[in-house]
Amino acid sequence: MSAGNAVKIIRLSGELEISRKYGLRAALTLSEDAAPVLLDLGEVTYADSIALTELLRLCVDAQRSDRPVAMVIKTPQFARLVQYAGLAGAFKIFDDETAAREYLAGLTRR
Amino acid sequence: MNRRQLVPLALTLGFLLVVVTLLVAGGLYVRSVVETSFRNAERIRTARLHVTELLNEQLDEETGVRGYAAVREPALLAPYYSGRASFAASWSRLHRNLVELSLPAGLPPLRDASEMNRRWLREVAFPVILSRRPRPSLELRGKDLVDRFRIDVRAIDAALARRGAWYNARAETAIVLVGALAPAAVVAVVLAAVLFTVQQYRLGVRLERARVASEEERRKSAEVRAAYETEKRIADTLQQAFSERLFPELSSIGFSATYVPATEEAKVGGDWYDALQLSEDRVLLAIGDVTGHGIEAVIAMNKARQLLIGSALLDATPHHVLEHVNAELVRARSPIITAVSAVIDTRTREFVYAAAGHPPPVLLEPQSPARLLEFGSLPLGVTTETEYTTQRVQTVPGATIVLYTDGAIEHSRDLAQGEALLLEAVESAVRHPGEETAAAIRDRIFDGRKVADDVAILTVHLS
Repeated sequence: MSAGNAVKIIRLSGELEISRKYGLRAALTLSEDAAPVLLDLGEVTYADSIALTELLRLCVDAQRSDRPVAMVIKTPQFARLVQYAGLAGAFKIFDDETAAREYLAGLTRR
Repeated sequence: MNRRQLVPLALTLGFLLVVVTLLVAGGLYVRSVVETSFRNAERIRTARLHVTELLNEQLDEETGVRGYAAVREPALLAPYYSGRASFAASWSRLHRNLVELSLPAGLPPLRDASEMNRRWLREVAFPVILSRRPRPSLELRGKDLVDRFRIDVRAIDAALARRGAWYNARAETAIVLVGALAPAAVVAVVLAAVLFTVQQYRLGVRLERARVASEEERRKSAEVRAAYETEKRIADTLQQAFSERLFPELSSIGFSATYVPATEEAKVGGDWYDALQLSEDRVLLAIGDVTGHGIEAVIAMNKARQLLIGSALLDATPHHVLEHVNAELVRARSPIITAVSAVIDTRTREFVYAAAGHPPPVLLEPQSPARLLEFGSLPLGVTTETEYTTQRVQTVPGATIVLYTDGAIEHSRDLAQGEALLLEAVESAVRHPGEETAAAIRDRIFDGRKVADDVAILTVHLS
């Protein structure tokens, strides 16, 4: 996790599953500041339903507090999973980080 | 006793062994130093005695010669003869002493003293004794030689005294060392005892911790077993309930379904399906999956089922059903649930559905490959802001629609492979009918392998 250019970046990789639940929950907990959130899941290859639920929770929490969220998804396996979970229609998903940053920057300028 | 227990004991014994070895070595060294010092001090005392003898003998010789020179009385030469008689023996003893003491500094003055004595005899004593009249010049010469003799002998004595002082100092140091060794031994033994006690204590703490951990583990494994038994009961009950389920009996439509509880422990519960006749031509189809497992998942599943059926009885439009259920689940802070709510019209063969975070239905029509229908929106119970969409699909006679839960495609963690296998299984099961379609699909997917997650499959075949 790192913060840069007033965008909170959360980076996860590998297989997200129930055994990593508490680590995931900690990683996916938003701080009080109102920075937009860039969720870099570019290296994620799999997520079970528990992990997807945690991701969903984060996105919904961010939206509730008017914090824009952009997700970066690169692996086709995870992209498909996200599509199954119905996230594709509900959140902004990009296949590279630059595009996601530009999207968030555009929102901040407005 | 295991290895970890032996370590502190070995360490302490090792420490003690080193300490005892050092003490014994120190003691032996001190003893040898003291012994040598005493032996040599004795030698030095003897040597200094011989020095005195040598001086006396020279003095005797001199006294005899002087007496004789004064009165020419031969009897007065007696000390001279006795001194001469014992001088050589005294000299030899002193020489041996110096060699034994390894005191080379004493040897040159000793040789010089002997030389002076010889010269005194030759140049002074013999001429005086043999001469018939007094020889005053010889007396002066004699004094000179005797002085040099005495200087030599004093140098030997000084060297002996220095060596004696050195031996004394060494012995004293050794004795001080002995004095220090005793407290050092006491300190070392106390230290070893403390070390051993501390190590024993730490070992005790470790063993206690290990005992508590193993007890905890036993207790946990008992809990896990109990939980597993509970899961197993839930699984058995669910499977029985599903297998006894009756489907609507309609001439134009055939149903089949299967439910396989997860074989892995603590994984069971949460999947369900329903097929319910709403009116003469319309049948409600529903399938869902609760996130999580165990008794809570089963309770949440039951609640969602009832909500879904209740909503559909009021208004079966799929997205209305899902919106209604979703609002209720969000309000009740229910676990997140994925579901498909659908209606099949047996007369028009129109299939309408809405999906909430759930894998989309599979449609297989004659002369077409099996395909996945459109994906849906977010799961139920996440946020009331989620909008669901009703998808409309016009099917043809002979079409098969398959609803399933993610266990049917996520068994290998490779969704693309899971999808392909499912579509293939659907085609194969429908085109080579033998057993019930749902069971055939399940068998083709799992092919006897373990089912990691619950799997529910519901098929509808339109004639």
